[in-house]
Amino acid sequence: MLTSVAEPLLDIADVHSGYGKIVVLHGVTMHIKPGEVVALLGPNGAGKSTLLRTISGLIACSAGSMRFSGESLGGLGPRGTVQRGLAHIIEGHRIFTQQTVYDNLLLAGYDVPRSERKARVEEALTYFPEIAAKRNDAGSTLSGGQQQMLAVAQGLVQKPKLLMLDEPSAGLSPVLVDRVLAVVDQLRVAGTAVLLVEQLIEKALSVSDRVYALAQGRVVLEQPANLPDLPRLLERAYLDQN
Amino acid sequence: MSADGAQAGLEPLSALKVGGANASVVPFLAIFALAAAVPFIGNDYWVLIATRAAVYWVLVSGLTLVIGYAGQLAIGYVALLTLGAYVTSVLAAGNVLPPIPVFAALALAGLVGAVAGVIVGLPALRLRTFYFAMTTLGFATIVTQIALAWQSVTGGGIGLSGPEMPAPFNTTRGFFFFCLAAAAMCTWMSSNIAGSRYGRSLVAIRDADVAAEAVGISKPGLLTKVFIFCGALAGIAGGLFASLQTYITPDAFTFDLSLLFFISILIGGRGSILGPLIGTIVLTLLPEIAAPLAAWSAFLYAAMLLAVVLLIPGGIAALLDFKSRAPLETGRTIAPRLDMLSALAPAVGNQETLSVRDVVLTFGAVRAIDGASLDVASGQIHGLIGPNGSGKTTILNVISGFYAPNSGDVQLGGVPLEAGDPVTRTRHGIARTFQTPRIVGEACVLDNVMLGGTINGRAGFFATLLSLPGSFRDERMFRSQALAALACVGLDGLADVRADRLQHSELRFVEIARALMSRPKLLLLDEPAAGLSVHEIVHLGQLVKAIAANGAAVLLVEHHADLIFGICAHVTVLNLGRVLAEGTPDQIRVNKEVVSAYLGG
Amino acid sequence: MLTSIISTGLAMGAIYALIGITYNTMYSTSRVMSFTAGQLGMLGGVFGALFILRFGINSVVGFGLTMMVCAFIGVVTELVAVRPVLKSIEQHLYVLSTLALALMISQVVAIEWSTEPQAFPRFFGTAAALIDEKFWFPVAACAATVIGLEVLYKHTLTGRAFKAVAEDNLAAQALGLPERNLRIASYALAAMIGGLAGFSGGSLLLAFVANGGLLNFYGFVPVALGGLGNNRGAIVGGFGLGLFQQAASFLVGGIFASVAVFSLFIIVLLIAPQGLFGAPQSRRV
Repeated sequence: MLTSVAEPLLDIADVHSGYGKIVVLHGVTMHIKPGEVVALLGPNGAGKSTLLRTISGLIACSAGSMRFSGESLGGLGPRGTVQRGLAHIIEGHRIFTQQTVYDNLLLAGYDVPRSERKARVEEALTYFPEIAAKRNDAGSTLSGGQQQMLAVAQGLVQKPKLLMLDEPSAGLSPVLVDRVLAVVDQLRVAGTAVLLVEQLIEKALSVSDRVYALAQGRVVLEQPANLPDLPRLLERAYLDQN
Repeated sequence: MSADGAQAGLEPLSALKVGGANASVVPFLAIFALAAAVPFIGNDYWVLIATRAAVYWVLVSGLTLVIGYAGQLAIGYVALLTLGAYVTSVLAAGNVLPPIPVFAALALAGLVGAVAGVIVGLPALRLRTFYFAMTTLGFATIVTQIALAWQSVTGGGIGLSGPEMPAPFNTTRGFFFFCLAAAAMCTWMSSNIAGSRYGRSLVAIRDADVAAEAVGISKPGLLTKVFIFCGALAGIAGGLFASLQTYITPDAFTFDLSLLFFISILIGGRGSILGPLIGTIVLTLLPEIAAPLAAWSAFLYAAMLLAVVLLIPGGIAALLDFKSRAPLETGRTIAPRLDMLSALAPAVGNQETLSVRDVVLTFGAVRAIDGASLDVASGQIHGLIGPNGSGKTTILNVISGFYAPNSGDVQLGGVPLEAGDPVTRTRHGIARTFQTPRIVGEACVLDNVMLGGTINGRAGFFATLLSLPGSFRDERMFRSQALAALACVGLDGLADVRADRLQHSELRFVEIARALMSRPKLLLLDEPAAGLSVHEIVHLGQLVKAIAANGAAVLLVEHHADLIFGICAHVTVLNLGRVLAEGTPDQIRVNKEVVSAYLGG
Repeated sequence: MLTSIISTGLAMGAIYALIGITYNTMYSTSRVMSFTAGQLGMLGGVFGALFILRFGINSVVGFGLTMMVCAFIGVVTELVAVRPVLKSIEQHLYVLSTLALALMISQVVAIEWSTEPQAFPRFFGTAAALIDEKFWFPVAACAATVIGLEVLYKHTLTGRAFKAVAEDNLAAQALGLPERNLRIASYALAAMIGGLAGFSGGSLLLAFVANGGLLNFYGFVPVALGGLGNNRGAIVGGFGLGLFQQAASFLVGGIFASVAVFSLFIIVLLIAPQGLFGAPQSRRV
């Protein structure tokens, strides 16, 4: 799957960002090729979620460049990035609990042409039969795992070129984690690139092509995911970054 | 900056400190001297205007503590002025009860104002400031309605005569000097409060309410005292206003007056006494010198309010704060002085162990803490690690009283800690820092640190109001301790700098200094190394080790593995709200489960 | 007497409920309680009288113009007094900025229109006292608003997007919803609801500048009773307040009716700060 000739889909260089006075990212450089699954690892507070939010335009990038499909992402804002094919599933399966499963998915297709919207929703639902069965139930009635599936399905409605998933396994039982990550595999087959932030290293590595590790707002490691000694390298990278 | 706090505290002007900076008393003297000269250089009309400014200031000097310091947006305070005016007039006129002397009537107006101030302020004690704004607005609405409708007492729309002052205050000049003296007295009292631990606490409630609770400041208790003071001044101002007007009708108390009080404070600058004083004078004079604009004056006030809010939220005081614009030295380093720590050792006591037993805390269906236990002995650094959402900070919040657990015990030295009551923790000897530093940005670093000692003050509100000797002793003690605490963490060079000018890493050390002010037996640190440079983390590690060696128990929530493994005697690993493993750093390092969970997250 | 209490109470209650919904609609997309809510109620009456009585414009066109002017003022509120202070919402600067705008509106009306109550047009001819339009028009307007909002929220994608932004602003942004445009739209919508309150209550309240301040407070009481952002609570609270006020006015007299309302307001705030119908806010972990 690693085709070296492909132009990068996402190409970011020396990205700085943070919250107010607090700088979290101190110059992050990374790229993702079309159809590639990349795991983003790192200890708590390393800046993984901040990086995703910066890429999707939820927070402003204070320095550096970000290009997606050859186009600059600077100043686009979250709506612009979604319209260009970049979906971001934020952490904590934050679906809209007061609305039905179906309405949650329709909302994900807000900018999709009206004629196409329902078909997209149906297509996304085929990935998750367990929530398709509850399409008319309110989001609040779903379990944590089902809410996470719904959140992922919201991303799928947008048919992104790149899907960014932030800790989809958090708070889920192992069976459900496999269920959600199986979708990542399906997406790879379908040619969608995925940027996956995950706590469970082994599960993340099993579905990924390549790995970046962040620590203290910087990339400290970039390796293929199938490298045999990776866990030890990761530990070294976190501890020896000083 | 000298570390000699005692000398600094003896400055004769410290009673007039404004917002923590040693503002000179000179501008106040100049203003009052100029005002006192008005009868000798102007005609009676100008004396009346000056009297009006003085009467307004009696109210505004108290209100500035509520709005400017505590940040409680009281927008309908004209109601208390109305109330005071009618109470004084009705009692002095004797149309309901037998007439009583004017001064007694004024005192009763103050009392009624104080009671009304507390009643109107009740929502502010617990709710967001919008509710308080709305309550004061509603109160203003009904007071006017009642003044109009209750004809047998208030004379309705026809009104009634204001009280007549006894000699020598019954002349224009006599009354002016009486009001001027009252205004000077009020300035002095408000400044006393503003420059004391009460003033700092009010600002903390406004800008860092969570930190205020953690250092033991009870918002309801403090606000109630201030509402009483402010309400009493407003009531008395009402009585004086009625006397000045000689005849009052509900029309005299339009909402425009409320707006004038309110905007004087905001334009003058919050957290200042001098700014609102100038604001009051200017806004009282403005319609007189710009007569053609009089009809539009309220519109202009409102437009000014909008401009101030959007363009200079700090008001004139911030605009004139040139000191805070001089560039700070760059490339500053934080150099803790661990030898100074002995001055801030915890009060001698028994070996007191923190014990957390089987704590469960749920948010809805989520079990944030699911039966966790841990012990921290005094003199020991205990690390608490785990992936995001594992419940580390939540445990800290249970220990420091911000959350009440569903079940389980938290004890310090065998004494159970009150569940869900953060204000009590300082008294138990517990201090903490926050993941995002909770700092009063507009106050100087020294004031921020002094806040940590608030509950150790001896002088009460009344003693502080009248600047009795006890309040001087308190301030001296706070100052010298805060300077010592700043020296310990290595920031004494920045004591006079506005805190919002510091770097993020420096704020973390300011928080530690603030925590040290209460000489804690137990110190809770929430990710103190986040955002620090490698060099600063080394200093932090040395500082925390020295604090523990000094006798305090330290519970450290942290992600930096090297810091945890470098300084902790004991480590607890949390995952999904449960204890995954515990032991010495060496045991934890080789625990396979932990390595996977921790390094993965 | 009882019928008078009920008819006046329901009519006033409908106006209060509509102002409450105005507060809520602005709040839902911005977390801002805006002091312009009551002023919009006042403007509905003033512009109605201006267009229809003073300019002699046809009633239906006059109503449409009133709604448009109110919507415009709603958009101005968002642009001038809300958006610039949203970043520092915890400082509550919106209390000051929206108050300033509300006072500016009120002052312009006082100077350019009148400080005295002015007549408001009547549309449906004269009828018997108790089924006079001044009693049923506000109630009908309130019902129409409730139905309209129900259709919007339940059956249109835009309405669902409003609800999404209200529930979780960040998640809505991440999903690519046009959060800023929705916020502006919600201010325009809220302003029209406020204007409708004043227009439909015009025969009862007249075109009077002082209505702005009164509606600011009495329109907020149902919000406090019903819980922030809870429209059902605002409707129940609004009608409850209208009836309570009229009954108190009859039982203890006009002076103490307002004291009773104010006391009720404080007591409710103290014993049920989340409102009587608002569920306590759940915490997201």
